[in-house]
Amino acid sequence: MNSILVRHKWEPYLWLLPSILLMTVFVIFPILIVFKLSFSEISKAGVVSGFVGLQNFRDAVSDRTFGTVMMNTLIWVVSVVGISTLLGFVVAMVLNNQFHGRKVARSIVIFPWATSLVIQASIWNYIINFEYGNLNNILLNLGIIKNAINWRISYQIEFMWECGVGIFVTVPFVAFCVLAGLQSIDDAYYEAATVDGAGFWKKLTQVTIPLVRPALTVSTVLNIIYVFNSFPIIYTITKGAPANMTDTMVTYLYMLAFYDQRKGPATALSVIGFLILCVVAGLYMLIALRKEEQS
Amino acid sequence: MKKIVALFLTILLMVSSIGFAAADDSITLDVIICQYGNNTTNWFTGTGINGKSFVQLFEEANPSIKLNLEVVSWNDVYTVVSTRISNGNAPDILNIDTFADYATEGLLLPVKDYCPETLYNDFFPSFIQQSVIDGTVWAVPDLASARAMYYNKDMFDEVGITVPTTWAELEDACTAIKDYYGDKVYPWGMDMTTDEGQAAFSYYTWNNNGGFVDADGKWALNSAANVEAIKFAIGLYSKGFTNPSPATQTRYDLQDMFGAGKMAMVVTTNQLPTYLKEKGYSVNFGTAALPHNEGAEAGATGVMDRVMAFKDDSYPDQAARNAAIGKFLEFFYSPEMYTGWVSMEGFLPAVSSAVSYLVKADPSFEAWLNVLDSCKFYPTAKAEWVDVKQGVIDVEQKALLGGDVQTLLDDLQAKVAGK
Repeated sequence: MNSILVRHKWEPYLWLLPSILLMTVFVIFPILIVFKLSFSEISKAGVVSGFVGLQNFRDAVSDRTFGTVMMNTLIWVVSVVGISTLLGFVVAMVLNNQFHGRKVARSIVIFPWATSLVIQASIWNYIINFEYGNLNNILLNLGIIKNAINWRISYQIEFMWECGVGIFVTVPFVAFCVLAGLQSIDDAYYEAATVDGAGFWKKLTQVTIPLVRPALTVSTVLNIIYVFNSFPIIYTITKGAPANMTDTMVTYLYMLAFYDQRKGPATALSVIGFLILCVVAGLYMLIALRKEEQS
Repeated sequence: MKKIVALFLTILLMVSSIGFAAADDSITLDVIICQYGNNTTNWFTGTGINGKSFVQLFEEANPSIKLNLEVVSWNDVYTVVSTRISNGNAPDILNIDTFADYATEGLLLPVKDYCPETLYNDFFPSFIQQSVIDGTVWAVPDLASARAMYYNKDMFDEVGITVPTTWAELEDACTAIKDYYGDKVYPWGMDMTTDEGQAAFSYYTWNNNGGFVDADGKWALNSAANVEAIKFAIGLYSKGFTNPSPATQTRYDLQDMFGAGKMAMVVTTNQLPTYLKEKGYSVNFGTAALPHNEGAEAGATGVMDRVMAFKDDSYPDQAARNAAIGKFLEFFYSPEMYTGWVSMEGFLPAVSSAVSYLVKADPSFEAWLNVLDSCKFYPTAKAEWVDVKQGVIDVEQKALLGGDVQTLLDDLQAKVAGK
């Protein structure tokens, strides 16, 4: 039976069929529906009527909040991805060293990433709470501060906390990507560099960074997509309040669709977000393919 | 092998024919109920009524009607319902707060099509009036709650102040509490969150002869009275009398602060005593009407939710479907079921037959029923209500950030009335 199947050219497609079916039903089909909806008129109750051209896109982009939200999204993605890449790199360098308890340290580092984002965000909400938060309690008990500090005094600060939580949960992912890259570097390179008289910085910039660059590229591009799409942190901590000042694109389009019941502009925004991510993913493919060709 | 296949097919045929026979004389109703508290799901689908569920009891009493009942949290219900409508799969019966959008889009059945007359006459007429558009009643009330000001009696005694009835007295009380306790106690609780900022709008504007609409029922969001009221509210915040983040601290955060003795006054629902008890707080509190501006009438805020039925033109026997929906309502509003439901979550009833039962069980109910009598309700029958609700929250949050109240309300009025 097997030997007959093997001869058929279509056999690989047969094994791919379940994945293709799943992708079609749960990924491609919904994407097509959202594209169709973004050009349709959708009533507040959710009834979909005729084609409206680019009206939903015009409504979404002309809203005064759009600029704020795009700016927030940019700050959110750049700061979370940028800072966590930097910190993740440092953590990976530390974890790559031989020291007692390295295994324990590695497991601890992975915790923030392995925990659900909603739980993470809710816990941080408690930590920075003014009235009964742990941060104030610890600082008060240690005598570092005399009066409780309001850690959420303004929306800018609240947004900074959100970025902070985003960084906290993203660092482990970068660290483990880079760590994998670091472990694949042959010690011979470092030995050769030492023989040539290279110091720590020279080795870092001439050996380590060029060799972990592929790992860094993967983690950065994946992080841009994850962080751009990240919903739970902002929704749990501020829900975008006050007045959408802490919204990013994803939380804003959710509020637009399900609080304001403006589903047309919301689907238009999700199409815009999808296209932005397509560009990022396209760049990633280009870089990855070029690397492959080079190697 | 052939015999086995034949046997299998025969069994399949028999089973399906039984299925069809059963489907012929029974009807299944899709019902969505909102989750009002910890007990809702257990009451409707678990073991909340003497070991049985509402669904079980209903199906025992009405063997020809099956209920496909789903309890959905308030956070998700709008998402669930609008997604189902978009997919052409609206529920038969829906419990939610708003109805105007569904009614104006022609998705709802008029109440008279399915509600038995005896039951219809049992609803408080003033409640039924809240669900009328163009002379047609589109939904029936399932319950109500009224808002009042709660104050910490012990704190008031310690500071030596009396309960404020006017805005001037409220400011004096806040000053006295702040002077006495410093930063340890917030004198006044304020919730201008995305969840319920529209309630805050009503607390201040309705106590200054303002409100969402004018005497003719037209939107009057930027009236002088409203501007003055919102400025007063923002003033309480900027003078440091309130909790520090009114845009993100919800009613439940405020209730916790009040329960923990960190807040002296809070405006919230008549369910607060149940909430405090369930959470284990023991605070000595009193209840009073909301303070109003000097010379203005006091206005209490009432909140009402509804039950409505969606059209389903594909159903072959419309009369049977309407009758089944009627049976559901009759069973739900029967005193045995309804009083248990309302009192379990600490709500106020929407039908007069329940009142005597409830007062017998808890005499303090009577006072709340009187408050309910004088309550004002949100203008939910107007099609723009969702925009206004989100709009006033946006105005409040921008005003908290220092925006000009007059300009913000002018913009909102232009946006809403321009439609």
